[in-house]
Amino acid sequence: MTALPALERPRTGTPELLPLDAGEQYRFGFAMDACIGCHSCEVACAEQNDTPIDVAWRRVGELEGGSFPTTRRFNLSMACNHCLEPTCLSGCPTNAYTKLANGVVRHDEDECIGCQYCIWNCPYEVPVYDERQKIVSKCDMCLPRLEAGQAPACVGACPTHAITVEKVNVAAWREDHAAADAPGLPPGDITLSTTRVQLPGDLPPDTAAASDYRVDPEHPHWPLVILTLLTQLSLGTVAATVAIQLAGSAGGGNLAAGASGGFLAGAIALAASLLHLGRPTHAVKALRNLRTSWLSREVALFSAFAATAFAYAAAWRATTGRGVPTLGAALGVTAVVLGVAGVYASGRLYLVPARPVWNSRRTLVAFFATALSLGPVFTLFCLDRSGLGSGWIAALLAASALGVLCQLGVHVHLVATVRRRTDRQHEGTRTLLLDRFAGLFTARLVFAGVGLALLGAAFAVPLAGPAAAGRIGTGLVALGAGELIGRYLFYVTVVPYGTAGSFFRR
Amino acid sequence: MTPPRSSTLRLLGIGTHSDPTGYDTDERFGVMSASRRPDEWVRTTCGYCSVGCGMLIGVRDGRAVSVMGDPGHPVNQGRLCPKGLSEHHTIHAEGRLTTPLLRRADGAQHPAGWDEAIGTMVTRFRRVLAHHGPEAVAVLSTGQLVTEEFYALGKLVRLGLGLRHYDGNTTLCMASAVSGYKRSFGSDGPPGCYQDLEDADCVLLVGANIADNHPLLAPRVLANHAATVIVVDPRVTKTAELADQHLAIRPRTDIALLNGIIKILLDEDLVDRDYVAAHTEGFEELVAHVQSYDLARVAAECGVDAEAVHRAALSVGRAERLLAAWTMGVNHSVQGTETVTLLNTLCLVTGNIGRPGAAPLSITGQCNAMGTREAGFTASLPGYRSYEDDDERAELAALWNVPLERIPTQRGRAYPDIVDAVADGTVKALWIIATNPPVSFPHRGRLEWALSKLDLLVVQDGFATPTTALADVVLPAAIWGEKEGTYTNAERRVSRVRKAVDPPHEARADFDIFLAVAEALGVRDELYPGWQGPQDAFTEWARVSAGRLCDYSGMTWERIDMAGGVQWPCPPGTEALAGEPRLYADGRFRTASGKAKIWCVSPQPIADAPNQHYPFLLNTGRTVEHWHTRTKTGRVEILEKLAPEAWVELNPADAERLGVRSGDLVRLVSRRGTVERITVRVTSVVREGEVFVPFHYDEACVNRLTVGEFDPISREPNYKQSAVRVEPRR
Repeated sequence: MTALPALERPRTGTPELLPLDAGEQYRFGFAMDACIGCHSCEVACAEQNDTPIDVAWRRVGELEGGSFPTTRRFNLSMACNHCLEPTCLSGCPTNAYTKLANGVVRHDEDECIGCQYCIWNCPYEVPVYDERQKIVSKCDMCLPRLEAGQAPACVGACPTHAITVEKVNVAAWREDHAAADAPGLPPGDITLSTTRVQLPGDLPPDTAAASDYRVDPEHPHWPLVILTLLTQLSLGTVAATVAIQLAGSAGGGNLAAGASGGFLAGAIALAASLLHLGRPTHAVKALRNLRTSWLSREVALFSAFAATAFAYAAAWRATTGRGVPTLGAALGVTAVVLGVAGVYASGRLYLVPARPVWNSRRTLVAFFATALSLGPVFTLFCLDRSGLGSGWIAALLAASALGVLCQLGVHVHLVATVRRRTDRQHEGTRTLLLDRFAGLFTARLVFAGVGLALLGAAFAVPLAGPAAAGRIGTGLVALGAGELIGRYLFYVTVVPYGTAGSFFRR
Repeated sequence: MTPPRSSTLRLLGIGTHSDPTGYDTDERFGVMSASRRPDEWVRTTCGYCSVGCGMLIGVRDGRAVSVMGDPGHPVNQGRLCPKGLSEHHTIHAEGRLTTPLLRRADGAQHPAGWDEAIGTMVTRFRRVLAHHGPEAVAVLSTGQLVTEEFYALGKLVRLGLGLRHYDGNTTLCMASAVSGYKRSFGSDGPPGCYQDLEDADCVLLVGANIADNHPLLAPRVLANHAATVIVVDPRVTKTAELADQHLAIRPRTDIALLNGIIKILLDEDLVDRDYVAAHTEGFEELVAHVQSYDLARVAAECGVDAEAVHRAALSVGRAERLLAAWTMGVNHSVQGTETVTLLNTLCLVTGNIGRPGAAPLSITGQCNAMGTREAGFTASLPGYRSYEDDDERAELAALWNVPLERIPTQRGRAYPDIVDAVADGTVKALWIIATNPPVSFPHRGRLEWALSKLDLLVVQDGFATPTTALADVVLPAAIWGEKEGTYTNAERRVSRVRKAVDPPHEARADFDIFLAVAEALGVRDELYPGWQGPQDAFTEWARVSAGRLCDYSGMTWERIDMAGGVQWPCPPGTEALAGEPRLYADGRFRTASGKAKIWCVSPQPIADAPNQHYPFLLNTGRTVEHWHTRTKTGRVEILEKLAPEAWVELNPADAERLGVRSGDLVRLVSRRGTVERITVRVTSVVREGEVFVPFHYDEACVNRLTVGEFDPISREPNYKQSAVRVEPRR
């Protein structure tokens, strides 16, 4: 054979597990030039770990490059890469992940609450959600076998010894991890994947995954659609209310309805978010990783925001008709600060390298734009507009309109970006957004336009009158519908990096 | 009270998966899932393909809970393919037949007792025989049974029922290898062994996608760092990726290619003239015959670079040890037999036979195709004896103590000819054992029409299949893991097959069914004197094979166990515990002259050639996740998940012309039938104008399209070239 694997691979016998020296960890090796695509590793893994049929810890992707008759075809058998900088671990809100001394990135299933944030964070999409268990699970390099001095099941099952378990010097790998890169894989330096991939010679430059033709929509995560929209609406409403209060609340009307509306939206959002979890009764565990997880921070900040907003609303209720309490103003300002921080944390959660289309400041702008577009107009909807005065009504409508324009700007930027970028992730989003979901995307823009027009139409009649109220109410509904569709599209049209899949499975 | 679902427990915070009892330690294999840890390991041989991997079935509480490759087995050294690794799931899969069924007056199949089922079968066979004679009853068997069962069945069919027409699904896969070996060497029998894949310095794989179809042979090729590996295949298969040289020839141009290579060998003086002179006949005719196959002609016909052909020929010719192996790409052709003789010729003229690393090796299909070739009483009398040779018939008659006239003088109809006889009403009763013709036989429409004309169809199988659905009598059989015996693999290695668990409910080992039928016929004592179980059949068969090329007479089940598989020939006194790895080391062949016969072969055009209405040439084949018609693997969840549906491979240029993309559904139409919905896979592994479809799927059955054309010598179908049209579904 000409294309010989550089690595010595024992041809027979049980694979040996060498003891680790200082500064070393275990890692997988994969000789792409030796893999025949038999899928034995996948079956051996499922048998060894009794994983349910839809929970594959090891998956074999297919790659193809060149053109007939010099076409080349390769396979890519990948499990967890037991990274040096595991983003599953840093993002996990419950600290369910640990990096063991032997290098294994271990997932503790008892600590997992099924938030699935690790799935978004892992550029390789290694963790899988187990519908049966309602939690995530992933490859632990057959830790019970390692501890018994045995090689992982996939290594033992590979007929061509293409999969190996090796020792790697951590410091040296940090310096040079070029061998973590391969076609069909995200860049290895995102997480410092430790899997060493040995590539065949003369790899055609157009080598691509057999799964690339599939651009499937991602899960919509409805509870998260609700959570993000309503927290943003909540922040916008509380902020508008506080602004009116601080500005001397034109006419000194009662702002309790605005504060309450804001709080209620936030409370519904948090309740909805529980439905996202596989194990909602364990939601409190999500506060465990404030140090590195934006999800933990989001939960903490939104909880604090909701509590403060509640106190603020309560203060308004307690002081009915008696003007502006100083304590109330302090609570309001605190709530707004927490809310802003919360929406920021919420947005940061999506800024993951594993999902390049999300990983942009655009996401942050979009989240705050939602707060700005929905909050003021919702505040108007909640409050007694006759006590507010035309000036404030006009100001709030203008603020919402500004929010809508920002949001449209975000979309223009998104479309321009996915048109310009040629990577699979951006192209995939382009296909989903402008082709598969083109109807919904148009609807999203039309709703925003209609909402904007209705807000503008309110100026044509007396702003405090019933005709304006109708236009403002309808405008709010239109804007809300637009935001709802927009947020749904945000979730379903993102294309993760992931690992090369087979023709039948991404 | 039913326990709460694990998801409920999980919701409440009670862990159910990371429980430390999730894993357990097995003495032999160490840490494994507790759900898979057995109380006992049962050593056996894989029941899928002909590679013959050794494995252990883990048994706990009467259930097969796991499978492991046998680390000590010479074939696979502990490794298995995905089908083998999940084989225990077939045993407890859905869809097993658990009781005999009889089609009653209401037209539906109803459960029946064994006595009634076999009584009905025998009575109705006898009635047909009485009215229409032995021409009117036929048996179609398989390569899936153990040798002991083939031997018992052969005696039952030929001597007990006195039938003339008996064949198996082996005719659909390796009949051409049998015929080709017989024509070249005077006898069937693959001369080489797997070790030759490692010992050769040139490995030539023709129409053999071993990476998908014989996965545990691929590591042997990969391990042979010194060899030049040449793959000849119209498609860029996974195996082509293992090759140093891939000749992507046009379909059915293998004969032109091999003739061209032989001409280059002659021109470059790379022929072993001493070997040719001493051990072959017909060489001069060959020299004359190949003269017209000059390089330019060959390259043009094959659609490959002249330089590539020349380079391959030099690699072949300069090799000290050439291993020429093939599978269905060669066999599945109207010229299969002739192509096999040509591969044999290539080895003969280069003196590459009977030495380590040097052989023409047919890698056969089914787990025990070899067992039925040797003991089965179909293509030849047991022990590769000839129907036409009176001495060999007399020898058998004496061994069995039956009158000479009871031993048939003709093979009888082969599989496609049995189907023809069913179609024209000659055959009125048919017994099908462990095969699924509606999915596996070409031109499905005609086959189904033919089967509908039968007066009686008896089907014996482990699973409900499209074939059992047509049956008047269904006999539920034990499957792999539930019965005892031996398989012989493609390198002539006989390995033990063991019962790990009982068959479900009423299902019985095929061996017991044959004995029960013999009992009902009143011939049990004559055919199977004193037999208690399959081991008795083996002992008799070993004795019957004595002195033949496929000599088992030095083998016992105990010896097979000790050696982990024994290769025939193994006459008494064979020193090597594991038998003989190779044939024809002495250069003496089984022909009358003792010399191997060199045949001249010319290519024929493709009969069902593409035209403007059917512009694509359809090629069919297999994928690693599935076996045959998926009656087993389709019931193994993980294999189904890996390859859940059929697909059609289409070159990007063709896809663009048709306006289809990967994932689209299209309709495939041939002159014989239609596949209504099949998923497109746009890929450059197929040439423009050619399409490929795997044959495993009843749901998108490619054999609705394939041409009903057969090798005139071996009667093997021509599955690999049919004309089709691809219609986008809008």
